[in-house]
Amino acid sequence: MLELRHISKSYSKEQQVFTDLSYILKSGEYVAIMGDSGVGKSTLLNLIAGLDFPDSGEVLIDGTTMSQLDDEMATLFRRKALGFIFQSFHILPHLTVSQNVALPLLLNGLPGNRANTLLAEVGLQGRENDFPDQLSGGELQRVAIARALVHQPKLILADEPTGNLDPATAHEILQLIRNEIKKNSASGILVTHSQTAAATADYILTLTPQGLIPAKASPNP
Amino acid sequence: MKILQLSGWLLLAEWRTRFGQIIVAITAIAMGVALGFSIHLINSAALNEFSAANKSLAGQSDLQVYNKQGFFDEMLYPKLAQYEGIKQANPVLEFTAVVSDKFHSKDHKLKILGIDVFRAASISPDLLGVPAEGKAMDSFADDTIFLSPAAMEWLQLEQDDTLFLNVGLEAIPLRVAGGLTRARAGQRIGVMDIGAAQWRFHYLGLLSRIELKLESNAQYEAFKDRLSKELDDNFYISEIADQEKRLSKMSRAYRVNLNMLALVALFTGSFLVFSTQVLSIIRRRSQLVFLRVMGFTRQQLLLQIITEGIVLGMIGAISGLAIGYGCAVLVIQLLDADLGSNFFYGLKPTIYFNLWDASLFFMIGLSVAVLGAFLAAKEIVNANQASALKSSHQDIAMNRAQWSWRALFCLSLGLLMTVLPPVFELPIFGYMAIALLLIGGIALMPWLALLVFSSLQNSVARLSKNPIILMALARQANASNQASIALSGVLASFGLIVAMAIMVLSFRESVDQWLDHVLPADLYISVADSGIQGGLRDDEQKIINQLPGFIRSDFFRVQPLTLDPNRPEITLIARPIDTLNPESTLPLTHDVIDPYQLPKDSMPLWVSEAMVDLYGFAVGKKVKIPIDGIWREFFVAGVWRDYGRQFGAVQMQLSDYQALSNDLSFNTAALWLDTQTAMSEAYTSLQQLPFSDALEIKQSQRIRKTSLDIFDRSFAVTYALEIVAIIIGLLGVAASFSAQALARAKEFGMLRHIGVTRKQILSMLAVEGFFMTTLGIILGFVLGWCISLILIFVVNPQSFHWTMELYMPWNWLMLISGIMLVSASFAALLAGRKTVSVDVIRSVREDW
Amino acid sequence: MRYLYNKRTILIVVLMIFCTAIVWAQQSETKRQYTSVTPNYTLTFPKDFGAHPDFRIEWWYVTGWLETNEQKTLGFQITFFRSATSHDQENPSQFAPKHLIIAHAAISDPSIGKIIYEEKSARAGFDLAYAKEGDTHVKLDNWYFVRNETGNYQTKISTERLSLQLSLNPTQEMMLQGKNGFSRKGPNIEQASYYYSQPHLKVTGTIKHQNKTLTVSGHAWLDHEWSSELLDARADGWDWVSMNLFDGSALVAFQIRGKDGTKLWAYAQQRNMNGKTRFFDTEQVDFMPVRTWQSPHTNAWYPVEMRIRTSELEWQLIPLFDDQELDSRSSTGAAYWEGAVSILKNQQIIGQGYLELTGYEKSLDL
Repeated sequence: MLELRHISKSYSKEQQVFTDLSYILKSGEYVAIMGDSGVGKSTLLNLIAGLDFPDSGEVLIDGTTMSQLDDEMATLFRRKALGFIFQSFHILPHLTVSQNVALPLLLNGLPGNRANTLLAEVGLQGRENDFPDQLSGGELQRVAIARALVHQPKLILADEPTGNLDPATAHEILQLIRNEIKKNSASGILVTHSQTAAATADYILTLTPQGLIPAKASPNP
Repeated sequence: MKILQLSGWLLLAEWRTRFGQIIVAITAIAMGVALGFSIHLINSAALNEFSAANKSLAGQSDLQVYNKQGFFDEMLYPKLAQYEGIKQANPVLEFTAVVSDKFHSKDHKLKILGIDVFRAASISPDLLGVPAEGKAMDSFADDTIFLSPAAMEWLQLEQDDTLFLNVGLEAIPLRVAGGLTRARAGQRIGVMDIGAAQWRFHYLGLLSRIELKLESNAQYEAFKDRLSKELDDNFYISEIADQEKRLSKMSRAYRVNLNMLALVALFTGSFLVFSTQVLSIIRRRSQLVFLRVMGFTRQQLLLQIITEGIVLGMIGAISGLAIGYGCAVLVIQLLDADLGSNFFYGLKPTIYFNLWDASLFFMIGLSVAVLGAFLAAKEIVNANQASALKSSHQDIAMNRAQWSWRALFCLSLGLLMTVLPPVFELPIFGYMAIALLLIGGIALMPWLALLVFSSLQNSVARLSKNPIILMALARQANASNQASIALSGVLASFGLIVAMAIMVLSFRESVDQWLDHVLPADLYISVADSGIQGGLRDDEQKIINQLPGFIRSDFFRVQPLTLDPNRPEITLIARPIDTLNPESTLPLTHDVIDPYQLPKDSMPLWVSEAMVDLYGFAVGKKVKIPIDGIWREFFVAGVWRDYGRQFGAVQMQLSDYQALSNDLSFNTAALWLDTQTAMSEAYTSLQQLPFSDALEIKQSQRIRKTSLDIFDRSFAVTYALEIVAIIIGLLGVAASFSAQALARAKEFGMLRHIGVTRKQILSMLAVEGFFMTTLGIILGFVLGWCISLILIFVVNPQSFHWTMELYMPWNWLMLISGIMLVSASFAALLAGRKTVSVDVIRSVREDW
Repeated sequence: MRYLYNKRTILIVVLMIFCTAIVWAQQSETKRQYTSVTPNYTLTFPKDFGAHPDFRIEWWYVTGWLETNEQKTLGFQITFFRSATSHDQENPSQFAPKHLIIAHAAISDPSIGKIIYEEKSARAGFDLAYAKEGDTHVKLDNWYFVRNETGNYQTKISTERLSLQLSLNPTQEMMLQGKNGFSRKGPNIEQASYYYSQPHLKVTGTIKHQNKTLTVSGHAWLDHEWSSELLDARADGWDWVSMNLFDGSALVAFQIRGKDGTKLWAYAQQRNMNGKTRFFDTEQVDFMPVRTWQSPHTNAWYPVEMRIRTSELEWQLIPLFDDQELDSRSSTGAAYWEGAVSILKNQQIIGQGYLELTGYEKSLDL
């Protein structure tokens, strides 16, 4: 599904982020990536999403070499194949909940009816025509999850999705993400600081300057 | 102290990050102030010069005695010279003569003052001629004239050259004996001996005024009363101050209107400041609320934002003053002070920097900026701290309903003001109505934007699944406050442009039609207007009548008349008028008495609109005007439109005039060609008349063209205003788009993540810009149309005393709309480009 | 500068007429024919007391010594001119400046140490300014000089600074100058005027100046002179003196100075207490400077003290005070000396007179 081949990335001579990083994520796998601040977790996500480019090495998603795509192609690929969940939700305030969810569908030229199905799945039935300012943080993240999955992407990238949420809500959301990924037969990468959050993934990797190292305890081998 | 320091930091930080917008806001203020200030400077300089020139003519006299008829019997002079309490009486004969060489150019008149050097020496020494060495007698010779430098330059004459002036139908030579002691720059006058002037120019026995110097212990008012009791009703006694008043009154409506228009431009600038400030606040919303949370009091926060406005306003206003001053100096040097109005023709005034006026304009500019900041600040200060801190929703939580109410209040108040009468003969309420209309219209914008874009969104949603259009529309509909703020600049400026364009075109078309009506004949002849006996005599009329090729000729007698010494002269026109069908000769309004209802026992008089406003000469009233010095009663039979004489004119039956005055001479003739005669033939036959040198022969086509040229020149300033308004409007669009684009960096970042291409974001911005501008243009159009109605039906009649019909300059409006639309979309695009090119990755991260 | 220059030019006209009348000769525009002064005309009175509008220029000129009620001595001078202009005679306008009326008045007050001077001019017309024919009657606004049938003259000058109201009564016969009133002014026979004088006029009246009204009495000398052509072009200026001597005799003397410093023409007439007259010609009359005084105003040197020789007789002139210069350069462009002088003979004051010195500041030929 996702293959990282000998990735090297640096922002400057002094600031080498990765050196020769390789990793393979299998289809249907949901992995959590942990690591210290500044170790390059977000950079890794950006490289995978085609928003940033490695100095050397290749990122392959389903056989497509992301690093070879130009900005336009990368965007089109991203639109179809990826779903994003952000720490601060990034729901467009002037669109209704269902319009927000429908965005990826419309972008891919698909009919918009699946948006409401997904909203129902994330537990927001009846809230379709609400505006984002009427929703709580947890609800907003549910919308984001729906938006990330509505167009049935192969890979979901979630960057600290519970960073802005209280523990109880966070737990619900993490469960929801896992369930939805599994239900939609997608793969997923969850980047987080939180041990508890990471525990909801199939297994946990720790990002170090030396590469991705499997954590001692993988809850769901 | 610490707070001040903090406040300084915040200010600098804020300005560093949005330097471009700050510049735009400052530019808007500066342009508004500059425009207003330079117009004001030019006008007041011209007026000062005008009154200084006038003063130099009137000299140092205490009082001047005039006659409402213009000229009066010279025997008043010895009477006044020996009158108790009068130290010195200075007789003056003032008239204009046509310069023979310049006869065929439009500008051909020279003002001539006949003076007695011995009497003038102590009262108006500036007017004394400077004869050549050893030729002192030239000062009172019978064949000499002294010319001001401007007149010499204009006539290209030097000392000892000969100047030919037309008198009635002959040209007389005068030797240029020298210059004048002191003449104002640009003041074109000739001075000659009063005795010679009376004789050469056929003013024997007549004077124009007598200037009086009183004994030093004289009581002006008591003396004036005593003297006016002894003089008959036709005389009036004025002081220099009266004349200045009269002078300033003549041009006041024109000056005030220009200043008002400049203020409207400034006003438009204030919307720009407002929108810049609001957008900047929106962007910093959580930062500002954070400050509140940190312990900034409401007042401190308010002060912080207002301080920004003050600094902005100060920089803008000061640079505006500098630019305005520079422009004024440049305009005076390159063009003239006239600004195309013909009020201050030929003067070369000096621009004086008046600190008081400058501070006034500075204050206006500053308050505009502060007001903009204040309105913006109020919103944020009243915001709910908690929700604002948390919310990613950036639309202002303005209470739409409340704003709509305010807007409606403004609009209805504005409507009410359009029916109020003028104040001090100025359309103050008319201008207030325009301001209220603009404010009301803009305040109504959020509500209107919501209405329009929601319905548009719904209907478009059904038709198209294009996410770009959907997103753009959704944004317009649901973030309508922001949209309307951005729009306010477009709205105000476009509204202004539309209003001006409609007004100017309506005016021009009306003038055009009026010209058709007042110039029915093919050719017009006028006699050089020198001397009261200088008109066409009986035999000369006969000769003209007998010329071949003409089927009809009408002869007129036109002369100036003073009804009220505190007002400029009116014009009396005596001509043949078909009493039963006056519309055939006069451009009548609907205010006319049925010709068959006219009273048999009184003479009919048709008055221009100004007469109704200024003198109360309403239709059906019996009024009195002096004919040949005797006040006669007339019946006002109708009102006609007159764009030529702002201070009033009356027309009467020629036969009535002749019966009353015994004046059988004419100074104007209208001639109709028969179908066989070509214009050039007729022209030639007129030119071959023995007295043709003194005749001004004009084709009505030519008069038309000249009149419209003058019209266009007068409105050149309004075109400048329109251009400034357009620039301010576009600046506004660009500013608000770039502000929004920056504020929406996160949104764009997210969209890029989920697969929206750069191009799509840009097109979304362009579409948004398009929608927004379209709405702005449509609303601006409606607003502008309303304003133009106020200008046409309230402001113009109140200040210039003329009405006009409404005409729409569709082509021009379409063109401007197109330009605005394209440039607004383009501005949106440009603003977006900058944002899209910033780091998309960083923009979605919370911890940057 | 221009301002001053201009005002000056206006008033130069005035001064020119007053001082020399040379200008007329130079501006010989032949528009108007004037009557010439001829030797065989007989003056007839009272007609010749009046104005002679057919002649180009005419003046009535009074100088004298006064004593105030405060026993102070004053000199005074009042002159009315009529001057015909070259303005077209055909002009029917009442304003047509065919004649100008000009008046000068000055007092010499030793307590002030300088002259107080007023002037006025206007075109004749509208009964505001005129010089009438038939008898002396000249008016300029509220200034006038009038003779009545009894021979008494009334004159009034009135300004804010200086007012004179005087009554002048003849105590002697008039003196016809030259040959029965035909008075030559130069080597050319045309350079002449009709000229008579009235010495020993008894003066009473009031003078108002420095906010004080003073009753005055004294004696004066009147000249009435009219001409169409006066001076030779070579003339630089003149010296003129009139003397009312205590013994009742009178003497007038003048010389025309040439630009080359020579004496162009001179004349004197003496009449003794018995009415016997004696004439002196150019050869017999000499003006001899005794002491010169430099004006602090104009830097011009004036022979303020003179000895005058008429044939075998010598008269010494001592000024009432030195600074009797009329400095009107700012208004008229020229300055001259015109002052009260005591007449001495053998160190004895024998009379009082008036001396006029022109052309010293600069040549009058402008």
